[in-house]
Amino acid sequence: MTDLSTPTTAARAPARPAADAWRALRRRPDTVIAAAVILFFAVMAAFPGLFTGTSPRACPIRDARLDPQGWGGAHPLGTDALGCDVLATLVHGVRPSLLLAVVVVGVSLFIGVTLGLLAGYYLGWVDYLVSRTVEVFLVIPLLLAALLVLSLFQGVDLGSGTFEVILLPAIVLILFGWMPYARYVRASTLEAKNLDYVTAARSLGASDLRIMVRHVLPNAIGTVTALLPTSVAGVISAEAVLSFLGIGVRPPATSWGIQIEQGSEWVTGGAPHILLAPLICLVATVLALVVLGDALRDALDPRLAR
Amino acid sequence: MGRYIARRVLQAVGTLLLVMLLLHLLTTVAIQLNGNPAQAFFGDKVASPTQLAAVEQRFNLDDPCFDQVGNPCLGPFVERLGQYARGDFGTNLRGREVSDIVAAAAPNTLRLFCVVLITWLALGMVLGSVAARRRGSTGDHGIRLTSVLIDAFPVFVLLIVYRYVVAVPLHRWAEETFGEDSWPPYWFKPSFDADHPWATVVVPGILLGLAGSAAFIRLVRAGQLEAYQGDHVRAARSKGLAERHVVVHHVVRNSSVPVVTAVGLTFAEALGGAVITEGLMNIYGMGGVLWEAVRNDDVGLVLGIVTLLAAVTVVVMIVVDIAYAVLDPRIRYD
Amino acid sequence: MAQITTRITATAGVAAVALTLASCSPSDTEGGGDDGPVTLETWISQDMETLFPGDAGSYDNISVLDVVYDGLVRYDPETTEPYNYVAESIEPDEENTVWTITIKPDLEFQNGEPVDAEAFARSWNYTADGDNGLYSNYFFGIIEGYDEMQPTTDDEGNITAEGATDELSGLEILDPLTLQVTLTSPFAGFATMLGYTGFFPVAQECLDDVEACATQPIGNGPFQVTEWQQSQELTAERWDGYTLDETPDYDAIHWTEYATGETSSWADFKAGDLDLSFPPTAEVESARNDPELAERYVERPGAALTYLGFSGYTDGPWNDIEFRKAISMAIDREGIISSLGSGQATPADSWVVPGGVPGGEAGTCEWCVFDPEAARDALERAGGWPEGEKLQISLGDDDAEVEYFTAIGNSVEEVLGIPYELNIDPDFFTTRAEQGYDGMFRNNWFPDYPLNENYLSFYASGEPGAGHWGWYSEEFEAKLDEAAAAPSLDESVALYQEAEAILAEEFPTIPFRWGFSSTYYSERLDNVILNPFSGAPILREIEVSVG
Repeated sequence: MTDLSTPTTAARAPARPAADAWRALRRRPDTVIAAAVILFFAVMAAFPGLFTGTSPRACPIRDARLDPQGWGGAHPLGTDALGCDVLATLVHGVRPSLLLAVVVVGVSLFIGVTLGLLAGYYLGWVDYLVSRTVEVFLVIPLLLAALLVLSLFQGVDLGSGTFEVILLPAIVLILFGWMPYARYVRASTLEAKNLDYVTAARSLGASDLRIMVRHVLPNAIGTVTALLPTSVAGVISAEAVLSFLGIGVRPPATSWGIQIEQGSEWVTGGAPHILLAPLICLVATVLALVVLGDALRDALDPRLAR
Repeated sequence: MGRYIARRVLQAVGTLLLVMLLLHLLTTVAIQLNGNPAQAFFGDKVASPTQLAAVEQRFNLDDPCFDQVGNPCLGPFVERLGQYARGDFGTNLRGREVSDIVAAAAPNTLRLFCVVLITWLALGMVLGSVAARRRGSTGDHGIRLTSVLIDAFPVFVLLIVYRYVVAVPLHRWAEETFGEDSWPPYWFKPSFDADHPWATVVVPGILLGLAGSAAFIRLVRAGQLEAYQGDHVRAARSKGLAERHVVVHHVVRNSSVPVVTAVGLTFAEALGGAVITEGLMNIYGMGGVLWEAVRNDDVGLVLGIVTLLAAVTVVVMIVVDIAYAVLDPRIRYD
Repeated sequence: MAQITTRITATAGVAAVALTLASCSPSDTEGGGDDGPVTLETWISQDMETLFPGDAGSYDNISVLDVVYDGLVRYDPETTEPYNYVAESIEPDEENTVWTITIKPDLEFQNGEPVDAEAFARSWNYTADGDNGLYSNYFFGIIEGYDEMQPTTDDEGNITAEGATDELSGLEILDPLTLQVTLTSPFAGFATMLGYTGFFPVAQECLDDVEACATQPIGNGPFQVTEWQQSQELTAERWDGYTLDETPDYDAIHWTEYATGETSSWADFKAGDLDLSFPPTAEVESARNDPELAERYVERPGAALTYLGFSGYTDGPWNDIEFRKAISMAIDREGIISSLGSGQATPADSWVVPGGVPGGEAGTCEWCVFDPEAARDALERAGGWPEGEKLQISLGDDDAEVEYFTAIGNSVEEVLGIPYELNIDPDFFTTRAEQGYDGMFRNNWFPDYPLNENYLSFYASGEPGAGHWGWYSEEFEAKLDEAAAAPSLDESVALYQEAEAILAEEFPTIPFRWGFSSTYYSERLDNVILNPFSGAPILREIEVSVG
């Protein structure tokens, strides 16, 4: 590395960041709990059969809005407004919700970081091109675009597998989700580029790619990591919002968003469990993610390391 | 700086045209694929081809290119640009002037955004700073936890609960306590009231702002933490400057960069929240209007409003860019 | 500079709020004051675009126009039968083809113009003129000379020539107060149509500037629109020059416009800001259980039919009547409506609203009863459902409807094992009109005037494969013609009932539910009566107590 030229702020930068980060993570009990929560829902997404034997599509309307009956009852968490089992819907709704969040954040992070890095590093016409594209996408409101894209695809039958169900919301959210990363990374790159150690690395003849990946990116990633958990949470919530507006995952397919949307109607109507069950899951997941993200950020950011 | 601004404005015009063209194309394809929106005029009625044709003509949808899939319909687009240049923003599908609609809806949305912005900045700056200064303390954790909780809580649930559970008793209480002729009952009115637009937009705005404030709290905290570690802060402290001075002049100032960026970024995004808030609180605003316009394939209205919105957003972004240069002397534009 | 900018923004914002808050005290103009004008506070939906009579077709503008304009006839709130109002008399000839309408003398518009035969003729001519593209245009197809007023179109639907004339040849002004109408064919129910908004008179000043008149109507009714902040609120005040007798005692009506219609006004009703409202689904039960509210409640069976149709123009099991029967009998109408209906719907088992209009009877649909056994048998007779396919159910993007249709789909899936998929289509009306669906889809009918004919005539597609459902029956259309030509209204109604029987036999569509109108009203209202076919409170009948 460039230990010689690194100024004091980065003096304590670990030699092996990954291993160090892992050590730091393990020291914190909240991190462990958060990881357990995420793991729990991941297992639920992978093997819904472990948690419920009821089909989420069996919805006798005459059984609508039953109160929770506790474990052992036919409907442990009660039924929703259409008579579907809340627990079954919840368990089967995990997969689309989590998959959507991971896919959207992953893809938009990749696009955003790449473009932001290139733009901030090379400036000139690359920056011009990226900045204009970012602007165009920023100026078009997400919901407007979501509606338009949706109305374009409405006649197309996408099928009903888990991935097909989330495809449309995913496309929309990615299409309009990468710009923040690009903007932040570009701004951080601009800042990092002027730092002494980067200048030094450049003068030592390091290639552009090496400088970008090894010196500029770690610096920029701090801001972006701080964004990540909120982004995942954001996607999960955005999915709920899209569902609320009727342009997300479409019924009869389910997701947490759909459930929250349907439940929100009944929160004042004597059946709050329809809302509370998915809402608690969503909040728990988001909380866990944020705790993990925070820990990750503290562990990764060399300048904030304790 | 002057040249920089001039260049940004020129770029902005380019961006605007691009956005308009993009939306025009999208809406046109939507019409071509989904059929002419004139049919929606008849709803459940079965209209004869003649009646349909007459309605198409009445609402300027009779250009044959709207029936040909893949035709970019540049003719109507250029025509529309010409109209815009003359200050004529056309009409919506039902013959109402777009400028009238905007004149009625935009002020309400601006009021909402104004309250939202104040909420964001106030919460972000205050709570973010506190969290950063007392890093690791219970207060810090509490603030972060609360902000995450609020963020995870869908804003529509917040609004529904407020409107149906909290607002009515609060409104009644305010009426009894302060009298019907005072302001407090209007603050807690369950719906927007066009005759008292500011008073009835405060609470919905705060709720919407609350929901988006977590990002600001985190940004401010992260920014200030970094700043506390920065050389210039150490230098300032070692010079023996008062802590207050250091915080205000070095920490807060430096951490403002990402906050200002975020304000610019969130502006277009806030429209999503606006659609929901306006819908639930019955505020007649741009969010709802735009929403309906897209649903109805109302090309004229969509383009008219988006052009306006885009113009505003671009201006905000330019201001943000300039604020950047002012705030962070390390960033230079030539 | 950073915080300075921030501070300036914040301070400016706060100052702006403070200024507006402090600058004036809210003037409480809402009703209930002891000496001020008495205002009825009610709601309409936000998407009302016009108040021009010939262009009004929705619940909202119809209910506003009902107090701003007077028609030739009005309808009895109990029996829905028309009685003469602006008309002195309406007399058909022996064939029901030539109708002579005499108008009461000395009636005026709110701008002082006379309400005479000319006022009706100019309104009808303007609306019937196809070149103007108005909503109610199609009502005038039964008057002679209509065809010559329509534009000509080529095969692609482009207008090639405007209509040849601007006036209905079937309208003749015999004297200032007498109008003679010649129909293209006999129609015994013509007088029934005349109370519909499309047949209201308009002033010459209105036609001179139609755009202005669409927002500031010049009516001949008891109320005058004084201010319309479109999409936000509308105010109408009592017109002093009104001479007829059906006018209420209160002074003004204030409509607040709601984005999502009535149920979003409920919170305001509970807060005491509205006089009329109905709760959203989730609140219905608590409203029911509130003894105080229960006293201020009216209900009435509505006339709007929601029903299911199939894409008869595509290949599929639904072209077999047994399959349609199976679907119909697999739908648990009672269960769905009692769970989701929130007291605003009743199960439907006929195509014409029972009791609501002449000729409407319950139970004309033999297969509209939930019967899982019979449904499965019928499906077997139809040859079952193709393995691996999904039944597509299409509808517009209305939340409440999505919920209903999810329940319908669930019911069908549970009973028949047919997996389904909802196709929520923002361009529903267009796609449906262009025969763009493949499977089952939602239909809805809201009657224009109280006659069973109004529920049936739109099934006449004219040729095989045409219309929304690709359904055609020569026998059915012949029956409609026969009914229209019947010598008296009663005979006509009976023949239309026979046409409904043909429909019931061929079963192209499946009746699902009737609207059910119900409204809560505030303590100061009295005599709230719902219009039998629109379900809207009849504003002219309402009494508002003062103080």
